[in-house]
Amino acid sequence: MSEEKYLTFALGKGRLANKTMDLLEKIGITCEEMKDKASRKLIFVNEELKLRFFLAKGPDVPTYVEYGAADIGVVGKDTIMEENRRVYEVLDLGYGKCRMCVCGPKSARELLQHHEMIRVASKYPNIAKDYFYNKKHQTVDIIKLNGSVELGPIVELSDVIVDIVETGSTLKENGLVVLEEICPLSARMIVNQVSMQMEPERIKRLIGELREHL
Amino acid sequence: MNKKLVHTPEGVRDIYGEEKAKKTIVERFLQEKIHCFGYLDIQTPTFEFFDVFSKEVGTTPSKELYKFFDKEGNTLVLRPDFTPSVARCAAKYFTDENVPIRLCYQGNTFTNTSELQGKLKEVTQMGAELIGDDSIQADAEMIALTIEALYHAGLSDFQISVGNLEYFKGICEEAGLDEETELELREFISGKNYFGAEELLERVGVNKKDKELLLRVSDLFGSVNILEDAKNAVSNKRSRHAIERLEKVYQTLCSYGVEKYVSFDLGMLSKYNYYTGIIFRGYTYGVGDAIVKGGRYDKLLSQFGKEAAAIGFVIVVDDLLAAMGRQNVMITGIEEPVKLYYTENDFPEKLMEAKGMRASGKRVELLHE
Repeated sequence: MSEEKYLTFALGKGRLANKTMDLLEKIGITCEEMKDKASRKLIFVNEELKLRFFLAKGPDVPTYVEYGAADIGVVGKDTIMEENRRVYEVLDLGYGKCRMCVCGPKSARELLQHHEMIRVASKYPNIAKDYFYNKKHQTVDIIKLNGSVELGPIVELSDVIVDIVETGSTLKENGLVVLEEICPLSARMIVNQVSMQMEPERIKRLIGELREHL
Repeated sequence: MNKKLVHTPEGVRDIYGEEKAKKTIVERFLQEKIHCFGYLDIQTPTFEFFDVFSKEVGTTPSKELYKFFDKEGNTLVLRPDFTPSVARCAAKYFTDENVPIRLCYQGNTFTNTSELQGKLKEVTQMGAELIGDDSIQADAEMIALTIEALYHAGLSDFQISVGNLEYFKGICEEAGLDEETELELREFISGKNYFGAEELLERVGVNKKDKELLLRVSDLFGSVNILEDAKNAVSNKRSRHAIERLEKVYQTLCSYGVEKYVSFDLGMLSKYNYYTGIIFRGYTYGVGDAIVKGGRYDKLLSQFGKEAAAIGFVIVVDDLLAAMGRQNVMITGIEEPVKLYYTENDFPEKLMEAKGMRASGKRVELLHE
């Protein structure tokens, strides 16, 4: 029964997807269709292994997996935390490493020492809220931005920002520093709860093989 | 038509026509099976005092409850699920009863989950509770009833995954984890988050043997064979008892002849302190979440003043229907009414005809020609 159904992977577009395909190739899972960069296809199939792959925008991956539109997803920890979907988070794939941080001008360090109200700009309002409310117990105003969050403190829209820091060079060029680290991040593999229960052998085997190659 | 008036709020919807007909039929099938096992209907109010669904008792966080006030200023809550209400009833009306009580219910429940788009805020639940019976047979009866009810409704491709909280608790006890760590670990293990659990246990400084045992829990799911492995891995009494209980329940389920729908998941740990022993969930293709949730809650009734063991389950009817729809399960038995046309002149005759057909149980719609 289990071999008849396709297992569907949702991969976060970009570097993450390429690295994931490299990793899958190590355990003998390939998808030739996907290597053709000119292809306009949205969904790629490996008939032999009964696997399907599609690329999606990062924040949508947990959504596809929660509703079972995809059985398995690969996406950054930041997205999983922000979306807070009901999925199994089964593997830390180890790549795409970076940190979620509170950043701002040096002078803003003082603002984080007290419980005073400050303005926080972020692409990740839920993560920012959770950190300030539940961990730091500081009341904050959260301003949702959709990109170039570093601008926030520079144009005085906000006091600090909550964002992903990889090398820190963007921060440096704009006169900002990491003030506090919220948590480390990396790519994670998530699995739909129903898929895990309905196809335990197949998915367990996959996780086991991947774990050995990490 | 006033275009503004025809909308419904987000998260609630109209169900009509063929869809409603199907829902009624599926509900009837489920109910038939539950009644066959001797369960008696109970109806509880749609809203109750907040305390009935409070943190100690309920499964729904306070911020997801629909709350409002009565004239005296009491906080009222639209029920998010039935179990606390049924437990309250049982404690109130069957205080001195020592024989098992079998109750079943059906109705709509309400949860205010704004951020989960696509999830309904009002869903129909149907369930059963067996109160005052802590036996293995009671555990098996609940699981078997769930399976038979789903099967009777027309679903054939599903799995009931059974776990036992005691297994995990036994290992935690052995490892000497404090409550806070245990709760945090529960979340990782129930999310099958192996590496998150590993990190936590390393941070807390649990010894190697216990760490491996605890981490294995997240991997212990699948067919009945995992029980043997799980049992051999542990030496503490509590965990071994938990597995022995599951083995006996499984044997009983074999007598029911439903074992092919049963699998095990020892990493299934409810976030809430509501469940105390065996817990189970029903999964099928087409919906992303469990369509059945159930388990033993031996301490819940004492919150309402009656010491009694209890086990129950609930089927989320709307999710079951969604799954059946996506699996193309045929729902038979939808009867279209017969159309009878009349004119001003032959109405008495047509009416007689309609009456006759209606008396024999036929559905007849009278229409003007």
